[in-house]
Amino acid sequence: MEATLSRPAASALSCCCRTTSTPRLVPGLIRHQSTKARTKRMLNIPKHESFLNPRPQTNHIIFNPPSSEASVYHTPFKFLPKNDPRRRAQLPQLFATSTTIQYPQPSENANPEELPAAFPPELGTKKYHMTKEDVEEMRRLRLEDPVTNTVTALSQKFGCTPWFVMMCVKSPREHRDQHKAREAAIKAKWGPKRTAAREERARRWAMLFRGEI
Amino acid sequence: MKRLRVERWTNQLLTARSGAAGGISCSAPRIRCLAAAARKSLSTAAAESSAPVIDGLDNNPRFPPLEDIPPQAATLPSPLPERALQSAKLAALHARLSLSQKIPLQTLARTLVDASADSHPRFNNTNLAFVGQTLINYHVAEQFMIQYPRLPMEILYAAIKGIAGDTSLYHIAKSWGIESAAAPGGEVDPGFLQYSLENDGDAILFFGSVRTEAKYLDKYKFRRGVSSRVVFDNDFGDRVDEFAQNIEDDEGASGDYGSAATRKRAEKAHANHVRAVVGAIYAHCGRDAVKAFVKAHVLSRKLALDKLFYFSDPTRELATLCAREDFEKPIARLLSETGRLSRTPVFVVGIYSGKDKLGEASAPSLDHARRKAAMNALKAWYLYSPGENARVPSDMLAEDAEKWEPGYIDIGEIITRGGNFRH
Repeated sequence: MEATLSRPAASALSCCCRTTSTPRLVPGLIRHQSTKARTKRMLNIPKHESFLNPRPQTNHIIFNPPSSEASVYHTPFKFLPKNDPRRRAQLPQLFATSTTIQYPQPSENANPEELPAAFPPELGTKKYHMTKEDVEEMRRLRLEDPVTNTVTALSQKFGCTPWFVMMCVKSPREHRDQHKAREAAIKAKWGPKRTAAREERARRWAMLFRGEI
Repeated sequence: MKRLRVERWTNQLLTARSGAAGGISCSAPRIRCLAAAARKSLSTAAAESSAPVIDGLDNNPRFPPLEDIPPQAATLPSPLPERALQSAKLAALHARLSLSQKIPLQTLARTLVDASADSHPRFNNTNLAFVGQTLINYHVAEQFMIQYPRLPMEILYAAIKGIAGDTSLYHIAKSWGIESAAAPGGEVDPGFLQYSLENDGDAILFFGSVRTEAKYLDKYKFRRGVSSRVVFDNDFGDRVDEFAQNIEDDEGASGDYGSAATRKRAEKAHANHVRAVVGAIYAHCGRDAVKAFVKAHVLSRKLALDKLFYFSDPTRELATLCAREDFEKPIARLLSETGRLSRTPVFVVGIYSGKDKLGEASAPSLDHARRKAAMNALKAWYLYSPGENARVPSDMLAEDAEKWEPGYIDIGEIITRGGNFRH
C-alpha cells in the first residue's frame, strides 16, 4: 500500500497492533508520542480501500461491516453435530478466500504457529497419583493440627491442588469458627468505601454471569 | 386572574339544536343527556319523563342514541349472545384479525368473557381458552425443541413462557386493540373484554398436579428440581397453585394503576382471551388455520434466547462439556489487549479447544474476559440450531407431507443446575 509507505509512523503503529497479540508488549516497539500533533499524525491511518474516492469501478457489492463481537448464534465448526449439513458442505473452505467473512475454521486447516499464547499458562496434565492412603494421611494431618497443616501446605506436600484438599477434608468446627470470627473482625474494620467496593465487585460478577455486562 | 367560565365550554354543542328549550338551562348538558339516555334504555317509563332532552340529542350526529338493551340485560353477568351482531367493536376485531367467515361474531363475543366475569361455562371463554392454550403451547414447544435442540430444560421452560406466557399474550391482546370494560355486566358492549378485578374465577386452564408437600415448598425452601417440574408442573414449569399463591401475596397496596394483584388478573384475562380466540379458530376452522394463526401472532415474536442464560461456573461447565464430547481441553488465549495499565483496559480473550476457537469475549479484566468467553462458548453450544427451515412434527399432518426425517436430539445437559434458576 503506497499510503503506508509514505507514512512511517502509520506502519509503526500497525506493527504495534500486531505485537498486541502476545501478552507482554516488547517495550522497544512502543513509540510514545510527545506531542498532540505527532500522536494525531500517527493515528491517522489510511482508510480502507472501499472508502477511497473515486470509488473503485466494480460490479460487486462492497461489504465492509464495522467490527463487532462474535454472535453466539454462529455455532463453531466443532460444535456442529456429525450429521449437520454445514459440516458436510465444507462451507469453511468456500469462505476461506473471503477477506471479510471469518467463518470458524475446522482444526485441520488452522496453523498451530499462529495461535496466541495461552493464558493463564497451561497447567500440566492431571497426574491422578493420589492413593487412598494419601487421602487418609491428609485427613489425619488436617484434623490433628489445622493451624500448621493449612490447605496450601497440604496441597504442596502431596502435590495436588488446594481444591482437592478441600474436597477430601473439612477442618474441625472450632477451627472454622475461629477462622470466621477472624474474618468478621477484619470486615468490621472496613470503612464504607471498601465495603461498597466489595459489594459492587460481587454484583458485577453476578451481572457477568447473567450476561448483562 | 381570569375566571374560567366552565358553562360556556360546551356552547358549540348547543348551537346546532333547533328547539332545544328543555336542555339549554342545564350547566353540563352532555353528561345529563347521556345519563338520561341510559335511563331510557333501562326503563321506558323513565325515558318518557325526560323525553324532550332525548329528542334534542337524537338530532345531534355527535351523540347518537345508545342501542336498545333488552330489559333483563342489566341483571345478567355478561351480554346476551345475540347482541354480538350489533356490536361494531366485535365486527372490527373480526375484520382486524382477518378471521374466517366461518367464525361467528357470537363465538368471538364469548372469547371476551372471562370466567371471573361470568362463572357459567356455557357463556364464558374457559373451554375455548383451554383448547387454545394446549394448541399454542404445543406449537411453541415443538418449534423450540426442533429449532434449538440443545436448550437446557430450564431455559426451554423460560423460552416457552416468554413466548406463550400470560405477559406475552397480554401484549398480543393489547396489539389487537382489545379494550376492557370497567366492570363486567350484561349491559356493556360485547366488544369489550370483561373480567373482574376482585376475584380470579374458577377456570382450570393448565394441566399439572399439586405436590403433597406444596404447603412446605416456600416455608422450608424445599428443592423443586427440573425432573419434578417436568412431572408435576404446568407447561411453563410453574406450579399450578402458584398463581393463587402470588395473588394472595400481592393483594393490598394499590396505587394509580391498581395493585400487583389486579395487574396480574388483567394480564391473565387478556391472555385467556387470546387463547380462547385460538380455541375458537380450532373449533370452526381446524388445525391448519390454527397453525397459521399461531405462527403469525405468537411464533413471529422475537425472544432473545441468549439473555435467558445464567452460569455459576462457566469454565468448569465448558471443561466438562469438552471432556464429554471428547474434545481437547479448553484453553484461554489472550487475543489482544489495550491499556493494561490504564483505568479502562480491554482484554479480548478466546477459548480454544485444540486449534479451534470456541468462543471469544472482551472485558475490562482478564478473569472477566476468560469467564465471559467460556460463557459465550457454552451459549454457542446450547444455541445450536439446524436452521430456520427445519421441519416440525406437526408439518406431517399436512396431506402432501414428504417423508419424515427425525430432528436432531441432544444427549442431554452438561451440568444439572438443581433449581438455581429463578424466573
